[in-house]
Order: sequence, then C-alpha cells, then structure tokens
Amino acid sequence: MRQVRQLASVWEFELDITQEVLRILDEVLSLNGRAKTFTGSTPLLGAIPELDSMAVVTLITTLEEQFGLVVDDDDIDGSTFATVGSLTDFVNSKLAA
Amino acid sequence: MQPEAFFLPVKTPGSTQISQRFCLFYPARGDVLRGMVLYVHPFAEEMNKSRRMATLQARAFAQEGYSVLQIDLLGCGDSSGDFGDATWQDWINDVVQGCHWLLNRVNTQVVPGKSPLWLWGLRAGCLLAVDAATQLNYPCNFLFWQPPAIGKPLLQQFLRLKVAWNMLDGQSKGVMDSVRTTLNSGLPVEIAGYMLSPALALGLDQAALRPPTYTDAERRLEWFELSTRDDANLSPVSAKSIAQWRQEGFDSRSHIVRGIAFWQTSEIEEAPELIEASTNSVRPSPHDLR
Repeated sequence: MRQVRQLASVWEFELDITQEVLRILDEVLSLNGRAKTFTGSTPLLGAIPELDSMAVVTLITTLEEQFGLVVDDDDIDGSTFATVGSLTDFVNSKLAA
Repeated sequence: MQPEAFFLPVKTPGSTQISQRFCLFYPARGDVLRGMVLYVHPFAEEMNKSRRMATLQARAFAQEGYSVLQIDLLGCGDSSGDFGDATWQDWINDVVQGCHWLLNRVNTQVVPGKSPLWLWGLRAGCLLAVDAATQLNYPCNFLFWQPPAIGKPLLQQFLRLKVAWNMLDGQSKGVMDSVRTTLNSGLPVEIAGYMLSPALALGLDQAALRPPTYTDAERRLEWFELSTRDDANLSPVSAKSIAQWRQEGFDSRSHIVRGIAFWQTSEIEEAPELIEASTNSVRPSPHDLR
C-alpha cells in the first residue's frame, strides 16, 4: 500500500512537470492555449514554426529559471527538443541529477 | 500622442567623430513637470520585441507629467553605426549623452528637488543605466524591469543563440567552445544576424547591478519582475541585490506583477499590469511630500 502511494505521488509529480512544461511552451511560443492539446508524442522541433533559435534559447532559460536547474551547452541538442515527451524527460533527468 | 523624433549627435570619446542616435521625446502633459525619465533598451533582439511596451509606458509617463526620452544606442534601431561597432562603453556614453539632452531640454521647468531624473531600464538596459549613472554628475532614481543582478547570464543566453541555430542545422556540439575561443582571441562572432564585438561581450560579461554612491541625495529604486504564476516570489539573487541597494541608502521597493515575458516571446506581447504599476510607482513617495 505504501509503495502504491509513493508511486502515485511520483506520478503526480511527473504530471505536474508535464503541465508546467506545456505552460512554458505555450507562453514562450505565443501558442494561445494550443499547448493544452499537446501530448507526450506531439513533435516540437521542425513541427512548430514558432520554435526558432531564439525560442529554443528562451525555452531553455525559462526552464532553468522555473525549475531551478542548470542546462549544459552540450544539452542543447535536437533530440532534447524532438517532442513534448523528450523535453519533459530531459527536465526530469535534470531534476533527478 | 505623437512623440518628437530626432537624431542626437554624439561625439565618440577620445575622437572628433560625431554620429547620430535616433531619439523619441515625449513631452510631459500638463503644467507641472513631475520628473524626467530616460529609457534604456535591452540587448539585441529583445529591444525589438519590447518596442511596443516601451512606447506604451513612455506615453503613460508623459500623460502623468513626466518628460520621457527614448534613445536607440549605437548600432541599434535607427541609430548610426553597425551593432558590431558598439562597445559597452559606447552605450554607457550614449545613455549619459541622452541624460544631458533631457536635462537641458526641460531645464526651465525643473523644480529643484521636486523633478527627479528616473533611469528606466529593461534587462541589460538596467546594467547600462547603473554604469551610466556613476558617470553622470546628477542624482538618479531607478526603475528596473526584470533586472539581472549581473550581465554574465545575459551574455551566455545570447551566445547560446548560436548553439541553438546550429542545432536546428543538426550540429551543435562544440559550438559554444568555438564561440568563446573566437571572442577570447579578440575577434567578433556573428550570432543570429548580430555581429558581436569582443569589447561588447566583455562589457556585458563584467557588468553588475552595483548601486551608485550618492552622499547627500535621497534616491529611489523601483524593481519590477514579471510572472504568469500566482505563487511567484523574488529570487534569492534579486532579494540580495535589493538589500545591497537599501544598504547604499536607496529607498527601494520590489514588485512582482502578473504578466508575460514580452521581451522574449515569439509574438509581440503586452503586459498592461506592468505599465499601470510602473506609472504608479514613480509618483512621489509620502516621504517626499512631507
């Protein structure tokens, strides 16, 4: 039972992170609420025209500020920004580090 | 309300060369001049993104009885020169020249001690405002929008544009190292259409929001940060910086206002609550009215 509860809270935490990532995406890319319809498999890089080099940097800076994490320059890689899921996984991995 | 547009001739220190800075002047409405405001714009593309907010705020100040000057720094906006020509010191010089022009222009209306000069900066503009104030022989109040405690992260963010640009082309590994190596060897780098000189990079890298020291005058600091979160707080680094300004004798207030980070969004955005709160904040404090 205890294990179940722990799993549930981990799941809620990850859900919060996804919500927060979507909120940040929506704000930075001026999507006017479109990000609410995104799922983990929604493609980002190459699929959303608003995601240009400036938006990528703004996104990184905002993630750093909002989650209090540090992104290395080498983390700025196409695979990180491929989908909503890959970006959320990246945030999770940085938070766990 | 149409501002007066003109070119301000600025002499390069240590040379006879004169070049032009594009300026917009919003004269104070009404009979009483409540103060002067000089706007210092942020770095590179952030300047373009925030042009609309700067205009809205300048109009609001003029409506309240403040005379406002906006100046495009060397190599920015409609001023002469290329971005790649500019150094940090050039920009400080431009801000100082802008202040002189403003003080001269409103000279006859100034009531001593009752018509403060506010330096209003956005992001990197706050760092420039502080550096300019220390070179200007006139006590200033400060209005900061999203001020960075130091310039280093702003430079890193700008350099990262190059990394992101290369990432979109598929190869970003090692780009940051090569950019820094180029700058360190005294050569400029081209980033997102802007040529960045080593002198400008160094100036931004070493800039810090140090309060100017005034011996006698009573001075004020109004510090604004924007957030779209309900539970937003000042970051520890901001709180530390404000404490430092208080220690230097600045009557300092911090405000967290609901609004979008308009200087970096994809579309041009507005933050109306920031304008209202900023306009209210520069009104004379109860202390001044006594």
